[in-house]
Amino acid sequence: MPTERALSIRGTPVRMLHEGTGPALLFLHGAGGAGHWLPFQERLAKDFTVYFPSHPGHGGSPAAEWIEHISDLAFHYLDLLDELGLARAHVVGASFGGWIAAEVATMASHRLESLVLIDPVGIKVDGWIYPFLFGMDIPEIVATVFHDPSAAFALAPPDFSADTLALQYRQGAALARVAWNPHLYNPLLRRRLGRVVAPTLVCWGAHDRVAPLVPCGETWAREIPGARLQVFADSGHVPHLEEPDAVAQAVGEFCRRPAGSR
Amino acid sequence: MKFYYFHLMPYVMDHDAPSSWVTLSNRHYDPVLGHTLYNQYLDQFEHAERLGWDGLCVNEHHQNCYGTMPSPNVMAAMLVRRTTRAKIAILGNGLPLRENPLRVAEEIAMLDVASGGRIISGFVRGISAEYFSTAVNPTHSRARFYEAAELILRAWTEEGPFPFDGRYYRFPYVNPWPRPIQKPHPPVWCPSQGSSETVEWAAKRRFPYLMVFTPIKRIAQIYSEYREACERNGYTAGRYQLTVNLPVVVAESDAKAREIAQKHVMWVFNVGLRMHPPFWRPPGYMTEASLRRVLENPPTLPSELTFEEADREGYLIYGSPATIRDKLRIFSSELKAGILCTAMNGGSHERTLELMQLFAEEVMPHFREDAQVDETAGVGR
Repeated sequence: MPTERALSIRGTPVRMLHEGTGPALLFLHGAGGAGHWLPFQERLAKDFTVYFPSHPGHGGSPAAEWIEHISDLAFHYLDLLDELGLARAHVVGASFGGWIAAEVATMASHRLESLVLIDPVGIKVDGWIYPFLFGMDIPEIVATVFHDPSAAFALAPPDFSADTLALQYRQGAALARVAWNPHLYNPLLRRRLGRVVAPTLVCWGAHDRVAPLVPCGETWAREIPGARLQVFADSGHVPHLEEPDAVAQAVGEFCRRPAGSR
Repeated sequence: MKFYYFHLMPYVMDHDAPSSWVTLSNRHYDPVLGHTLYNQYLDQFEHAERLGWDGLCVNEHHQNCYGTMPSPNVMAAMLVRRTTRAKIAILGNGLPLRENPLRVAEEIAMLDVASGGRIISGFVRGISAEYFSTAVNPTHSRARFYEAAELILRAWTEEGPFPFDGRYYRFPYVNPWPRPIQKPHPPVWCPSQGSSETVEWAAKRRFPYLMVFTPIKRIAQIYSEYREACERNGYTAGRYQLTVNLPVVVAESDAKAREIAQKHVMWVFNVGLRMHPPFWRPPGYMTEASLRRVLENPPTLPSELTFEEADREGYLIYGSPATIRDKLRIFSSELKAGILCTAMNGGSHERTLELMQLFAEEVMPHFREDAQVDETAGVGR
């Protein structure tokens, strides 16, 4: 089981799960994924020192009023690497966390041993408009996000107490602060992806309905120089939840290769 | 007591869609029927002035069948030229929904000058669903509201040009022509559902507080919070700072009134306010403290409100003129509300006009001890 640490990143308190030995790997979670240490992370922790912080306003990390743009979160994670004393790390981001990871990579690619994006959002893709998740109730979200709805149980809330509902509201607000409009993207990010020099693996669920492989996954793979695209046949938007072993294996293999051959 | 005639301008219809807001397809809207409705509704407003109503209220809502007034200032403009005496209360403009709040300052000033100073300017945040229709970020709602209000008030009262450099709104030259005719500016009202932050903000500025479609117990509670906030700010709330917006159904008998209320008032709650659940609660629109207050005592969703509960909890009042007089005394004598805003709906245009006349002749004259008082003198600014 991972240990939970309380950190202060330039005065912003965050909670972070932490386990494993080996090269440092920073995992940036998607909306609703905060604090859920699941088989995907367990598997990675066999080969890497996995750092899994909750974004401010998500999970156990309190809301941070100063965060008003996605770049604030990207700077926050550069500060977190400094706080952990990590000059470089593998950075793995899923969905919303993939967006943050890509922003970090455009700012400071040299801090990344490698970049792994799992069905990221964050760029404007020609011919695609992300479905408006804030207008959906829970059944609609599950049907949109998951290829296999039973995979959603892993993220189900423990109860419907006032504290749980307040946490969900806080997480929604933290996401909305940076992702309401434009919905789930930064108009400037796509043209900056050419700056990414870290070896990049783009993982994609074949049945993603939030950001479909065509055109979204293909656009990411084209815009990041030298990126490899790997498709997971039985997944929707969250392959690391739907096919955790296969995705963890792909990520592990990619990150363990010598730098020149990734 | 002062009486204001309030209209949602609804597009009354039945449908099976999960939401009457945001996503109810506008294919349901028949512009030819809409033409008739708009003109009937405007006739009702003009009729209200002739019958002695003191004010006429319009309001802003978007993308729904509940109220077809996306621009209340357009309707106010029509009333300015077709009426001569009544106040025209715009309840209100959704300030955060505007990318350019100087347009509100300009349009209200235009209406105020053209009407010779009959305009009351409501400032609202807009209800939850408007943030889906306009795509304005709900986490900015409160801060944008305060900033837009400050900009508008300064634009009305300070000599221009001056620069304004806010977080959300930035203008190198604030210098609107015309300036309002009322001094220092048209009265500002705060229609609200009772969030404690808004109560404090309104009380501090002496802006009247208007409770909309709220059960009577909660009205009493919020009124007392508002009065306390006024005392904290060093003054005692005046009678015309406390306003209530309440559906009132008067008819020849209690039974007839009950029948109308069951059918036509309950449409407003059960169909007009039917909303896909996420549209009630956009993230960050409420503070977490407000959310927890709601969770402690969750209100019945309007779409699930039964007539019996609405009646018991005081969401509406209905009855013969004598019954209405008794029920209204609770608002005038116990709650000490100075102004009653109310819609009248008889189910058809002709019947509505009849009920309006009945109310004006059999109810209003019994509450006219303040007939000579100008309810806007020194209030709301």
